[in-house]
Amino acid sequence: MNKLTDKDIKKVYWRNLFGLQWGWNYERMQGLGYSWVIMPALKRLYKDDKEQMKTALKTQLGFFNTSQPMSHLIIGADMGIEEKTGMSDPEAIVGLKTGLMGPFAGVGDTIFLAIYRAIVFSIASYMALSGSALGLLLPIIAGAAILWVRYKFTWIGYQQGTKLATEFAGRMKILTEGASILGLTVVGALIPSVINYSLDLKYQMGKVTLNIDDMLNQILPSLVPLAIVMFSYWLLGKKKMNSTRLIFVLIALGMVLGNLKRIFGM
Amino acid sequence: MTVSFGIIIVLCVYVALAVLDQISLQLGPYSPLFGGAITGLVMGDLKTGLMVGATLQLMTLGVATFGGATVPDFLTGSVMGTAYAILANKGASYGIGLAVPIGLLLTQTDILARMANTFFQHRADRFAEEGNYRKVELQNIWGTIPWILSRILPVAIGLFFGQSVVSAINSFIPAWFMDGLKTAGLILPAMGIAILMRYLPIKKYFPFFIIGFVMMAYGGKNFSILGSALVGLAMAAIYVIFKNKPTSPVTTSGTDSSENDDSDDDEVEIDE
Repeated sequence: MNKLTDKDIKKVYWRNLFGLQWGWNYERMQGLGYSWVIMPALKRLYKDDKEQMKTALKTQLGFFNTSQPMSHLIIGADMGIEEKTGMSDPEAIVGLKTGLMGPFAGVGDTIFLAIYRAIVFSIASYMALSGSALGLLLPIIAGAAILWVRYKFTWIGYQQGTKLATEFAGRMKILTEGASILGLTVVGALIPSVINYSLDLKYQMGKVTLNIDDMLNQILPSLVPLAIVMFSYWLLGKKKMNSTRLIFVLIALGMVLGNLKRIFGM
Repeated sequence: MTVSFGIIIVLCVYVALAVLDQISLQLGPYSPLFGGAITGLVMGDLKTGLMVGATLQLMTLGVATFGGATVPDFLTGSVMGTAYAILANKGASYGIGLAVPIGLLLTQTDILARMANTFFQHRADRFAEEGNYRKVELQNIWGTIPWILSRILPVAIGLFFGQSVVSAINSFIPAWFMDGLKTAGLILPAMGIAILMRYLPIKKYFPFFIIGFVMMAYGGKNFSILGSALVGLAMAAIYVIFKNKPTSPVTTSGTDSSENDDSDDDEVEIDE
């Protein structure tokens, strides 16, 4: 197995800075970008092993979404683990990515989007309101500092990932199972938090108004998003179904669901 | 009341760079503040640009793209609002008034760009099957094109035809289509999650999926993804601890004294 060089890791850092979200799409979000970002490492590790490369490509094209600054930690750890274990256990990689992306997104968005933006841009805006364009320098300077933090994150992630993989060497199966448990818990939690859709239907019966959403919520909150996910999951298990076809199914479903009020004349 | 070609081109290049900034470095050009300031600078009225940009910025401080959600495109709104305000010579508040509906309308182009990139994701899937990593790489680079077009086209069209085009477009696209598109955007992440479920051993570990879902479904506003992940981590750790115990002392049965604290627990737990 090849070793990653410092240059590979720096390349991944630069790619991560710019390209994690170029290919952002509704289906796998940062999935396409993730594969592009980590590609220098994949090339180093699997260039001479076509089967491993195929597995790696498929694994790294999977669903991924997190806060950009925090993504450096995950990608770093991924590199550290793959350097040790290769693609012998793709489920462990998926579990790690999925398990970490949720919590990191929460922390990262709060720190790097909400808090950071509120501070830096409100100061800059107040300066601009008084007619000074000088405040525009502030986001640039603060942003440069963030880039440095992201560089550090890449290395911290890489070192921790290597450590994790070394400690668990020979016990990867347990790690995989642990990662799967973490991953599946987060996947379950993703459904109510990522799919913010409700039917928004009210049914008028004489003087009584029935709020369909309230009724469904009493059965189970986020029942509709769960149903849509389970429906998609079930469809994906069908022989003739692939993700391209599923997208059209879901867009068609969206067209119907988005117009329920018109359909029922409410 | 038109804008010169040169200015349209400069502003198009700017919004292209700005949207790339928005999805990568987030240094500043992506913000409404910069949008207003740059437009003002290019059109020779920096002060109005700063006013429009700063006001919009302060209005939208709390609006962040959490988890990749689409938010109104106030950057493009700020650029066009500033341009119209300077053209009509009606001051900053006129520009702000226009910027908000423009930003709201352009939510749609953002959604379209994010949908269009699914095409490249699927091309990448195909090349991954062949192990063709160079072609997989290319797809992510192509992904910049829908992003750039989604910002350049509205700015170019909007500035070329003036503000009448905004209301024209608003009345041309049927409302049901807009609603359908919006809903499709809301439910499409279901697909990414479903694919993930196909990838993880859900049949074996379904209880954890249920726990995760229930925590957020019922806990929603009082609970967070971080909280669910910590519970998941705890459950994973418990699993690893219990699963790991029997295997380690087997080889070190003679060195019990060195790990006295652990061996007390071991005797209780080993049941095989």
